[in-house]
Amino acid sequence: MAKILVAEDDKLISGSLCEALKNAGYESHAALDGEEAVAKAKEVAPDLMLLDIMMPKLDGISVLWELKANPATAKIPVIVLTNIGDVDTISKIVEAGAVDYLLKSDQSVDDILRKVKEVLERTVRLV
Amino acid sequence: MIINILLVIDFVMLAVVISGYIFASMRERKLLSQEADQSLELQQKVYQAQVLKEISERIGYSLDTNKIVDIITSSLGNLLEYDTVAYMVIEDGGKALFKCHVENSVTHDFIEQVKEKMIMSYAAILDKRIEAQSTDESITGNILDDNLKVQVESFFNLPVVISGKLVGIINVASSEKGRFGEEQASILYTITNQAATAVSKLQSVLESEKGKLSAIIYSLADGVIMVDTDNQLLVSNPVVREILEINQQAAGQQAIEKPLTMFDIVDGLAGKVDIRTKIEQAMAEDKVITIPEVLLKDKAVELAVSPVKDNSGAIIGASVLFHDITSEKSLEKLRQEFTAMMVHELRAPLTALRWTSEAMLKSLNDPAQRLEPLKVKENAENIHTASANMLELVNDLLDVAKIEAGKFELNIQENDLADLINEQSKIFKPQAEQKHLALNVTANGKFMLKFDKVRIAQVLNNLISNAIKYTDSGQVDVSLKTDDPSKTAVVSIKDTGLGVAREDLNQLFSKFKQLRSVDRARKGTGLGLVVSKGIIETHGGKIWAESEGENLGSTFYFSLPL
Repeated sequence: MAKILVAEDDKLISGSLCEALKNAGYESHAALDGEEAVAKAKEVAPDLMLLDIMMPKLDGISVLWELKANPATAKIPVIVLTNIGDVDTISKIVEAGAVDYLLKSDQSVDDILRKVKEVLERTVRLV
Repeated sequence: MIINILLVIDFVMLAVVISGYIFASMRERKLLSQEADQSLELQQKVYQAQVLKEISERIGYSLDTNKIVDIITSSLGNLLEYDTVAYMVIEDGGKALFKCHVENSVTHDFIEQVKEKMIMSYAAILDKRIEAQSTDESITGNILDDNLKVQVESFFNLPVVISGKLVGIINVASSEKGRFGEEQASILYTITNQAATAVSKLQSVLESEKGKLSAIIYSLADGVIMVDTDNQLLVSNPVVREILEINQQAAGQQAIEKPLTMFDIVDGLAGKVDIRTKIEQAMAEDKVITIPEVLLKDKAVELAVSPVKDNSGAIIGASVLFHDITSEKSLEKLRQEFTAMMVHELRAPLTALRWTSEAMLKSLNDPAQRLEPLKVKENAENIHTASANMLELVNDLLDVAKIEAGKFELNIQENDLADLINEQSKIFKPQAEQKHLALNVTANGKFMLKFDKVRIAQVLNNLISNAIKYTDSGQVDVSLKTDDPSKTAVVSIKDTGLGVAREDLNQLFSKFKQLRSVDRARKGTGLGLVVSKGIIETHGGKIWAESEGENLGSTFYFSLPL
């Protein structure tokens, strides 16, 4: 069972996502701020991570860089889920090494599940 | 550019040259018949007046030394009889300019003799040896004929002095002996003197105009420089130094007032803009070139490079305007941050609404995904919370917009403020208890006042909920007092929480600044304080915050007029 880490400070959003992931047959873990996200990434070693940008303690971009800096977490594919769609943020996300980014309010939960599946398959093939 | 020109004719040299002729010519004149003499004199005077008129018309508004001397020398033909008239300038660098107009053909040797006499005169006046390193010669008029047997037999030199400095010598020479006398010298003197007077008048007008212009340039808020076509810096103002941080001395040190050069400007912009190329381009293409955003060490500057033209439309240089856009940029950045934050805050509850309702719809359509009744309740609660958050935010945004537009309306009535404080505090009791905080209220008796009950309740809610939100242990004290000197009722909400850094206190109530320090763990956009400020100020009251510093708690106050 693939492990998915959901780093999202909004409890409602995090709850919906985790629930949907569970229903789709994944093992879901939630982190409610950036620091927790980095810690859980090491602890859980997820197969994929869904990451929010605007989070307390450590923002999503910094989380990406911290993951990259640690060999244990550097290979975790990260899909950024954000509600800030400005070019500046997007370029920072890409630069920090996220595999994809999705604008939360533009997506349904099913869209996200589809993307998760797609990225997981791509990663497996690469391995 | 604008040369200080003052023509002063030094007669010392002239006196030496012509003294010998004076007595002779006077004696001669006596022998002539009185009648003939008078008519000749009259004729001369008419000529002289004509020439003077012509000269002043032709000089016009020119302050170009060479041009003025050209005009003077070319006008002499009517008044004097000579073979050559020449003008010589020796610049500081030793470069000599020699202009000679040949009226009657002479030899090359004759010209050389004239030149020699002029250099000697130059040397005598300056009292030093003159060695012209290079000569820029121009000989106009009649052809030179080396077969002629002519020598310089008579001549005179007239020094041209500008601002007490010798700038050139006019020479009139003839191959005839005794050609020039007092009369001729005096004609030339009159002409040059007349020209000098015209030039001085023009100069004083220009000086005062130039003074006004420099005062304007000096006091401009923008940096300005001007260069000539050789990229030499002609004009600059102090703002340029400030912007490019040139020779900016440390506090307490003596200012080093080294004159600014084009190298300083190029250095100051090195790696950012190739200003020399831009200047050349502006001059070559005859158009204004703007460089919208040059990022210097801690400044953002906008540059405008424009060609500068003279009256005839010829390009004589270029100017560069340095406009500091640092504050505009930082305001722009704040606006962008604000928009990003708002977009995020508005989308977050929408996302939650969308996803939660999706899950519920799915459970209705697909029996395999049926939700437990408890889960349905939780989802419904989530939808309720998300829509309530969204509504609060939208209301705050609308309130801010109304406040900013000056369209904020109040429903003012006589109300009991103490009662309202007690009522609102009661709402927050459960929240405070949940965080194990004591919520103490000191507002006794009746306290009748005119205010908008709904809006003041909104302010109290905002301040009390903030106090609880930012306090993890200790207490929140809400109290009401009267301040007699200012005739106001003062409400204070004191907490033992996070506190506020002193430098941030003033910015708490600003729409943009507040957002920078938003603590995302505690939610909220900080718009509540902006709205509260608007509400209190519309009531004619004041709102402010005090804090001993971070982690030392804070107190928020608002006052309402009694």
